[in-house]
Amino acid sequence: MLNYNSTIIEAKEYSDIKISEVEPTLKINLRGKNRDFVTKIGKELSIILPTDPNTSSGNKELNLLWLSPDEWLIYSNDKNNLETINSSEDKLFNDISKTKLGSVTNVTDHWIMINLKGPKIFDMLSAGCPFNFNKFKYSKGAVTQTLLNHVDVIIHNKDINNLNLFVRRSFSNHLWLWMNDSARFV
Amino acid sequence: MFLINCPYCGERDQSEFSAGGEAHIVRPKQPTELSDDQWAEYLFMRKNIKGVQFERWNHSHGCRKWFNMVRDTSNDKIHAIYKMGEKPPIK
Ligand SMILES: [Zn+2]
Repeated sequence: MLNYNSTIIEAKEYSDIKISEVEPTLKINLRGKNRDFVTKIGKELSIILPTDPNTSSGNKELNLLWLSPDEWLIYSNDKNNLETINSSEDKLFNDISKTKLGSVTNVTDHWIMINLKGPKIFDMLSAGCPFNFNKFKYSKGAVTQTLLNHVDVIIHNKDINNLNLFVRRSFSNHLWLWMNDSARFV
Repeated sequence: MFLINCPYCGERDQSEFSAGGEAHIVRPKQPTELSDDQWAEYLFMRKNIKGVQFERWNHSHGCRKWFNMVRDTSNDKIHAIYKMGEKPPIK
């Protein structure tokens, strides 16, 4: 049984930073290499698979993040109920995994999505992250995978001063506490 | 800060990477025909020189891809980075 329970209890607001958990959201990991896979995903989701490093594409409901030359993450903007999540997974699984075009893995319970908003979010992240956000913060849709306070994270720059951060479930509470601690000092 | 230019993601901090030892070590075609000494030579013996060395690296906290690097072990100067399967651009 997958664990969809929320790991974080409350949204927190500081003078220039707002931190909130957005769960449960649909998250699916995609892996594939050949051209058929790329076109099939495009047709399934009506979104073009981003092939440029550190970029993303999307529509109103879904985002497609580039993770690696043969790996992507799909996630939904809004909270989803589990029925929608499971049916989306089933459809992709039947059309991609079963036809051996690529692999589809439901990682809804694996990643926790945390939304960060406000003019000082990058100062807060930089307190524990080696990534250079100078260009990143002005490029809408940019994606990076890096370390935040020694924890693996995926960061999606949704809009100016509005980003979604993904952290593995077992690290999420610890990172949440660290971010709240760090937010008080920027 | 020691930066490494991942061939897929671009320039990133060294802390995102893990070193994977010497590169271009060819696995013997017929392991069963080797003596224990020859097998140990392939398995464990590495040059580990002071100077320019050919190494494998993994962008473990980023795209998780392996690549090759030519690095001077005495001063960490990186001379070249190239993808797996590619020929070294320098000798
Ligand atoms: Zn990389």
